[in-house]
Amino acid sequence: MSTSQAIVAGWMESPTSAVNDEARRRAEDSALAALVDQYASALYRVAYSVLRNQADAEDAVQEAFVRVLRHRDSLGEVRDHRVWLIRIVWNIVLDRKRRAKTRPETDDVSELARVLPSTGLSAEELAAAAQHHAHVLGCVDQLPAKERQVLMLSAFEELSSVEIASVLGISESSVRSRLFRARNLMAGLLDHERSLR
Amino acid sequence: MNSIPHDPRASASASSPAEETLRLIASLPAPKGLEERVQSALDAAPRRGRVLTWPRTLRPESGWMRSAAAAAIVFVVAGGGWGVYTRVEQNQPAKVIVMPARMPAIEGFGEAGAIRTPQTLPGPKAPQPVKVIPAQPVTVKKPVTIAKPGSDGASQTGKAAAAAVAPK
Repeated sequence: MSTSQAIVAGWMESPTSAVNDEARRRAEDSALAALVDQYASALYRVAYSVLRNQADAEDAVQEAFVRVLRHRDSLGEVRDHRVWLIRIVWNIVLDRKRRAKTRPETDDVSELARVLPSTGLSAEELAAAAQHHAHVLGCVDQLPAKERQVLMLSAFEELSSVEIASVLGISESSVRSRLFRARNLMAGLLDHERSLR
Repeated sequence: MNSIPHDPRASASASSPAEETLRLIASLPAPKGLEERVQSALDAAPRRGRVLTWPRTLRPESGWMRSAAAAAIVFVVAGGGWGVYTRVEQNQPAKVIVMPARMPAIEGFGEAGAIRTPQTLPGPKAPQPVKVIPAQPVTVKKPVTIAKPGSDGASQTGKAAAAAVAPK
C-alpha cells in the first residue's frame, strides 16, 4: 500500500477513529480526575504556603489543573506526576505572588488565627500563636528569593531534596547549599528581631 | 550584603521556629470539597476543539512531524549553503579601485599654512645707487716685428723685442 493510499484509508476510517478518539478522551478525563483526587490537597498546601490565602490557593490549584487539561496529550510522557504538578502550581503561585501587592502582616495574623488548629488552646493562646507564626513568616519573607523558595519547599515532608531540585530546576547540591544559607539567615534574622525586642 | 549577625551554631536551633511554622502551614488540611470544585472547574473549562481528526498514518504521535521538521531544516541549511556557493565566483580577479584625485580644499583648513602677502600699490620708485666701476688701465701692445733669419742685427733686435713682450 502506498503512502497516499494509506492516508486516504486513514481519512476514510473516520467512524472507527471517532470511536477511538472518544474512548481516548474518556480515558484522559478519568486519568485527570484521578490526578485531581490524588494531588489536589497537596497542591493546595503548596499554594497556600506561598499565597497564605485560602481562596487564592484554591484558584491556583484550579488553574494548575486547567493547564494540565490543556496539555493532557502529554500526560503520558510525564514520569513523576506529583513533582510535575507541584512544579506547575509552584510557577503559578510565584507568578501570582509577584503580581499581587504585599499584604500587611495583620492580614496574615488574622488568616492564620482562622486556619490554625485550635484544639486545646484558649483564644488568647491562639492569638499569640498566630502572631508568632505571622512574625516568623515575615522573617521568611525577608530572605532572598532563592533561599526562601528552598526553605518553603523543604517544609513539605513528602518532598525530598531531589524532588525539590526538580521542582526548582536546579541541582541537588544547590538545594542543600541554599537550604544551609537559608537556615543561617533565618537564625540571624530571628536573633536580630529578638534583640530589638 | 547582609549585615545580620551570623552564628552557624545557633542556626540549627534558632531556625527551628521558622521551620516549625513552615511545617505547620505545609500540613494544614485542604478545605473540604476542593476536589469537587476543581473537577467542576475542569468540566466548565473550554476544551481544545478538534474540527478534523488526524488520520492514523498522519498522527503527530507517530513522530513524522519531527522527521519532517528535521528534513526541512536540513533542506533549508543545505539550500542556503548551495546558494551562497553558486553566487561566489571562483578565481575572481582582484578589482583595482582607482582612487579619485585629491582635490584641493576650497574652504576650511586646506590653506592654513599660507602667508598672506598684501598687494603693493605702484608708487614712486626710490633711486637706486649706481655703482661706479673704476676704469681699467689700457695696455698698449706693440706690434711684434718678425726678423728675418740670418742677420745678427736683426736677430738681436728680435731677441730684444721678445724680451720686451715677455712678462716680467
